[in-house]
Amino acid sequence: MSQAFLSGNLQAYILVSLLLFVIGLATVLLRRSLLMQFMGVELMLNAANVALLAFARFRGGDVQGTAFYLFIIAVAACEAAVGLAIVVALFRHKQTTDSDRADTLRQ
Amino acid sequence: MLTTSELAVILPLAIPAAAACLLPIASLDRDQETVKWIRGSMFAIALFALAGSFLYVTRLWGTRMQPSFGQVHLDFLAQLAAIFILVTAALAVLQLWDHLHQEGWVKGETLSLLMFSVTGMLVFTATTNLIVIFLGLELLSVPLYALTATVRQRADALEGGMKYFITGAVASACFLMGSVLLYGMTGSFEIIEIGRKLSTHPDTLALAGAALVLVGFLFKVSGVPFHQWTPDAYEASPHPIAGFMSVATKGAAFIVLLRMFPAGLSASPDMALKFKAALAIAAALTMIVGNLTALAQSSVKRMLAYSSISHAGYLLLGLVAGTQDAYVGMLYYLFAYMAMNMGAFGLLTALGLVGDRCGFEHLRGLGWKRPGLGIAATLCMFSLAGIPPTGGFYGKYMIFKELIQTGHVGLAVLGVLASLVSVYFYLRVVVALFLEKPTEAAEREAAERPEVVAPYAGATVLVCGFLVVAIGFAQTLMVDGFALRAIKDSLHFMP
Repeated sequence: MSQAFLSGNLQAYILVSLLLFVIGLATVLLRRSLLMQFMGVELMLNAANVALLAFARFRGGDVQGTAFYLFIIAVAACEAAVGLAIVVALFRHKQTTDSDRADTLRQ
Repeated sequence: MLTTSELAVILPLAIPAAAACLLPIASLDRDQETVKWIRGSMFAIALFALAGSFLYVTRLWGTRMQPSFGQVHLDFLAQLAAIFILVTAALAVLQLWDHLHQEGWVKGETLSLLMFSVTGMLVFTATTNLIVIFLGLELLSVPLYALTATVRQRADALEGGMKYFITGAVASACFLMGSVLLYGMTGSFEIIEIGRKLSTHPDTLALAGAALVLVGFLFKVSGVPFHQWTPDAYEASPHPIAGFMSVATKGAAFIVLLRMFPAGLSASPDMALKFKAALAIAAALTMIVGNLTALAQSSVKRMLAYSSISHAGYLLLGLVAGTQDAYVGMLYYLFAYMAMNMGAFGLLTALGLVGDRCGFEHLRGLGWKRPGLGIAATLCMFSLAGIPPTGGFYGKYMIFKELIQTGHVGLAVLGVLASLVSVYFYLRVVVALFLEKPTEAAEREAAERPEVVAPYAGATVLVCGFLVVAIGFAQTLMVDGFALRAIKDSLHFMP
């Protein structure tokens, strides 16, 4: 089973990755809960990770690509920390995580 | 063991980073709100680090060394970018002292985040490797999300921070996906290598990757149609941070775009045609939307936000022209833009306008009370509007001249028309400062409040007013001595 996955062709992996990317983008654009939008962003970053690992493997286990994957995980964690902090602080003011309710800044 | 030249690369990046790590220790103290010397020492640490890094980079520039370490190349373009970023950050730190005291929210973490962002920008502009570019991009933007929301006692600051975070994170993800696709199709993270492969094997997926990377950059420079976050994020953040974001982030993104666009994205004539057409459309829309929306604003800060969008449009035109002189013009314009925009945002701090008191009506008659400040701000506004002999005029002139010479007459005419429209809303500030009487309510309010004292912010506005004119007059020196050297040596693939 796992052997079949590992020897699967590159196109399938890229397709999955692009699909994840689009799902993530759609989540950010369509959902109105800040936490869900936030997860959409994480999904987009991890979609890039899937594609990166597939490419690195396809290129004979390229070290640069594989190392970059670790960097991306760390960066995603940093973004998550800052993003969640802002969500929590906003919740303390507004008592909601609905992004449609955060609409005071406008002309 | 590190060699001297490797050390020379690390030091200018390490000094702000070290200050960023030191500052939270200073802000651990509970008394930071009350004890002035603790607050003073935090600002001194930040300024000291910026000055150290600045001296180091200028020394490198003077000795004509271009050291590199791994993927970080401190070439002339990177050195010029570092000077640009460090001066902007120093102006922002000086203005922050006054602004945060006016807000009653003096925290060390604000400065620490600013220093991290500066480090990120220095890394961002000093490499041609997509991995390092991405890491630099994240290191500069993640602290900026928090900085936007730094005055967290106000709900709208957090709202702006949230909006900036979501849009910025999506832009980063687009940039990342784009660079992964470019890597997958070409097998390299090096921009020049990618450009070489793309020009021989143009591939649909790789082109999609390049487009995604471009989307990420348009987000960062707030080009239309990815500009909606700009006014909200700027309005939410403290004035100096808004100035820093509009100048340094945009400048750094344009400098990296200068590295990426000619070498990587328009390596073959066919690709150059496609991407230049896309950029031309984005630039035209950016100028039109930015300037027309700025006309309708009642808040000076939102007006400045839309004006910064429109300036991104003028700078994008330089990439569309795509000649060496146009790139030189862009660098020159960035320096003029730094002086005039930091001056414009500094004016709000120097006059003590906090919170929602940033309308044109709050500026009325203040020019007569502080004549020096008023004149410096007027010079900045003239430069933003592109009136000679200020730096803003010559920058636009260089870019438009190259546009006409490469046959984009229509775009050049549009650019001139857009800057004519912009004269209206910039002069509105000058008219409010000098020609309108303050309302009676404002006079009464001013009499009740304590006098606004903002010595550092006032000084930065005066310096910016001087710089705007000096950059205009020292045009040949700036172009031949600085910008040309940076462009010529760093973009060596130019014909």
